[in-house]
Amino acid sequence: MKVSLFITCMADIMTSNVGKDTVEILERFGCEVDFPDTQTCCGQPAYNSGYLENTKATMKHMMKVFRESEYVVGPSGSCVAMLRGYEAIFRGDPEWEEEAKKLAAKTFELSQFLVDVLGIVDVGSTFKGKVTYHPSCHMTRILGVKAAPVQLLQNVEGVDFVELPHGEDCCGFGGTFAVKNSVISGQMVQEKADHVVETEAEYLVGGDMACLLNIGGRLSREGSYVKVVHLAEILNTVK
Amino acid sequence: MTIQNRESFLDNLANTLGRPRRKTGVERPKWSLSPQWEVYDGLSQDELVDVLEQQCKVIHTNFKRTNFDGLSEMLKSAIKGHDGNKVLAANDRRNKEYGLEVIFDDLKQEGVDVRLWDSAIGTENQVFAEQADIGITFSEITLAESGTITLFNDKDNGRSISLLPRVHVVIIPKSTLVPRMTQAVKQIHEANKRGREVSSCVSFISGPSNSADIEMNLIVGVHGPIEATYIVVDDK
Amino acid sequence: MGIRIGDPSFETRVQEGIENDFMLNSVASAQGRFRGRRGVATEELGNWEDWRSLGEEIRSHTLENIDYYLQQLSDNVSKRGGHVFFAATADEANEYIKEVVKRKNGKKVVKSKSMVTEEIGLNKALEEAGSEVIETDLGEWILQLDGDVPSHIVTPALHLNRDQIKETFANKRGYDKSNTPEELGLFAREELRKDFLTADIGITGCNFAVAESGAVTFVTNEGNARLATTLPDTQISVMGLERIVPTWEELDVLVSLLTRSAVGQKLTSYITGITGTRLAGEIDGPEEFHLVIVDNGRSEILGTEFQSALHCIRCAACINVCPVYRHIGGHAYGSIYPGPIGAVLTPLLDGYENHKELPHASTLCAACTDVCPVKIPLHEQLIRHREIMVEKNMAPTAEKIAMNGFVKWSTHPAAYKLSSKLARTALKPWTKDENITNGPGPLKNWTAQRDFPAPSQQTFRSWFKERQKGEKSK
Ligand code: SF4
Repeated sequence: MKVSLFITCMADIMTSNVGKDTVEILERFGCEVDFPDTQTCCGQPAYNSGYLENTKATMKHMMKVFRESEYVVGPSGSCVAMLRGYEAIFRGDPEWEEEAKKLAAKTFELSQFLVDVLGIVDVGSTFKGKVTYHPSCHMTRILGVKAAPVQLLQNVEGVDFVELPHGEDCCGFGGTFAVKNSVISGQMVQEKADHVVETEAEYLVGGDMACLLNIGGRLSREGSYVKVVHLAEILNTVK
Repeated sequence: MTIQNRESFLDNLANTLGRPRRKTGVERPKWSLSPQWEVYDGLSQDELVDVLEQQCKVIHTNFKRTNFDGLSEMLKSAIKGHDGNKVLAANDRRNKEYGLEVIFDDLKQEGVDVRLWDSAIGTENQVFAEQADIGITFSEITLAESGTITLFNDKDNGRSISLLPRVHVVIIPKSTLVPRMTQAVKQIHEANKRGREVSSCVSFISGPSNSADIEMNLIVGVHGPIEATYIVVDDK
Repeated sequence: MGIRIGDPSFETRVQEGIENDFMLNSVASAQGRFRGRRGVATEELGNWEDWRSLGEEIRSHTLENIDYYLQQLSDNVSKRGGHVFFAATADEANEYIKEVVKRKNGKKVVKSKSMVTEEIGLNKALEEAGSEVIETDLGEWILQLDGDVPSHIVTPALHLNRDQIKETFANKRGYDKSNTPEELGLFAREELRKDFLTADIGITGCNFAVAESGAVTFVTNEGNARLATTLPDTQISVMGLERIVPTWEELDVLVSLLTRSAVGQKLTSYITGITGTRLAGEIDGPEEFHLVIVDNGRSEILGTEFQSALHCIRCAACINVCPVYRHIGGHAYGSIYPGPIGAVLTPLLDGYENHKELPHASTLCAACTDVCPVKIPLHEQLIRHREIMVEKNMAPTAEKIAMNGFVKWSTHPAAYKLSSKLARTALKPWTKDENITNGPGPLKNWTAQRDFPAPSQQTFRSWFKERQKGEKSK
């Protein structure tokens, strides 16, 4: 099975190990992974700020990048939801409608791809520690992926899973919101960090790097010992 | 009666919707889903009574059940239990059938001031209702799911009876039970379609009045009755 | 009062909210309870999504044919002895109501809770005309005594705690009992009962009007709307033009959605449908009835991509799940309609100029969209608002420059690659132990609240490239 990795700009620049782990997991399950190297960003920062018309250029660029791909898989619920969202945005556009539709149909978030497409619920990895999981907003509510990441995580040998109280609450990232309304965002991430600490978990796991950066940044500011890791990192921890 | 500014107002709405005004010919579609009909579908009357009893706990309502012969005792003890010295009842067509007239006479003998709503005496009804301890009504349709009784208020069944007294006591013939509001509104809708005018006041009442306006804490009894008692009467 | 409330500056309002611990505690605990109850009440049905779809279908059909249903409604109200006044603006509505009150020599007016009368500023208009107006909903009464404004559309005094309420009762009404909700509630009952018995006019809102029979319905728990429509001789009900259902059958569905979403109740204590004036021989109910149907900017929403915002049944579920609302409180929105629906509706009804921050006061987390019982895509409408403000050239210049830069960057792979490679080096001066605590430019606001990690040593793409080379040479 041929899979094109959609790395997302965040993971590309900030946390490249997440990308590496994603590649290795996919290869472990027999995927042939390529990386269309002209890919950039899904366009969310500008789109969510109201710059729809300008952002269409970015979206078209991304559609071209993945035009030949069989599957597109990325380690982020939010960015994958955006790529899939092109379909609604270009509806009625004679030139791009079909292309956007095709991209939406073949694009998957990592855990979603593993569970729904490859049918794998246990990746056979081992990770020792008390772990909690933040179900990010776009992953669960926009993309609709709720069970897959938790299922994968709970099947990892050695994982002591604790539920995050009020997990479904937003961490306060919200893209440019974190900068534009930084005071409100600060209150929100504080609350989220408090809930994480409450679980007494050693690790906070998530499927969206941006949220993890946000929560991790707050935990770090407080000098908390909780480590923040992406789901891919845990799934790629094999004995 | 007067209707003012209607034409310009509605023309403008049609305009913003980008089409000519629709004055006739709009049919309510057949909705693609009907989840409301699935709730407690197929339950027997007795099962519905059980649902009602459970719900009464949720809505802080005293639930009592009796058969026809036991009603007299049950109602009297409810009135006494609520310290009912002044009682106002609807002038309901069923008062006689259910033996309430006899019960009321007994109570009067015992010194309880029992009155029936009497449209001939005007606002005196309201004055008495305001002082009354207990208001007594019959439920027309009873919604098991929500613990709701339905009143079609009219000249013999004033709105005040279920509103102004401290306690509301409702007699619920078992045959009036339906699963939920769905069945009740269907009756109203169909009667309306047949040209029967709907009551000037349809009251769906679920237990005593309450409020959560202070710190989301439930206060039972605000402007309406502070307590409610339902008496389900098995049919003869 | 009108739709706008509070200090003119959004930043100030937010700051006031964030610093008000009392208020935030009340809001957070109320939200917690609301959410729990709503969750139970919707899950126990087992097919909540079907209910939502049906709700959406009903609302959308009704709005598409709103002129037809309003005509039917007004005909039926008139047939049952009521007067109907269609008001294009708040002023028209207030003038008409003032006229009626004056003609009836209405010295004392009792009101039940109604957002639309808040929106048009009716109380002020009536007081100017010399009437005493008494809010009888417990929450509204507290606010009225206190000279305060609502912070929530279902429980308007959500931001106050029992001590503050006791304080208000003591100062304004000589209350001398405890701060328990029961005693406070009982006091309100006794005080307001006197007013109900002596009022000349009852004014209500309207949750849903039923077109087929001309009924106006009220969904309440306290019983004050029933009193206001039972005792006074004149009743005036005010409704937004969208608050209507075709028949009693749709009323059932929408009321069920409303009560479960709003307070987690299967039904509220009272669902009351009043049709026209009292009939011959009836003692209770008004002898004169007026229905005022208000546009006040709503018609301009029809036919636009925001039309579904008019589907709103004012359940406040979106407000009760909103994390932004939880952290700033209702007053920070500067509108009587706070939270997600407020952020959508307020700019539509009152223009962008005074509310340009509202569409940005959201992380787009979509919790609101998820709970809305009539499926309004609230977070998408917030994005659409942002788009319109960009189109209207209302966005800050710095943002425009940044966004243009972003688009260039994300459509030019070479530039993207270069900058991503340089990111780590560029942030070097601010980096200490792989961590940034006080970043430059846009990072400044970020690091004011939290740390930012140093970018990876090597970007993913260069790792991948090296790996491929390695594999080839293997
Ligand atoms: S927008 Fe939806 S959730 Fe919010 S108040 Fe309106 S109906 Fe309720």
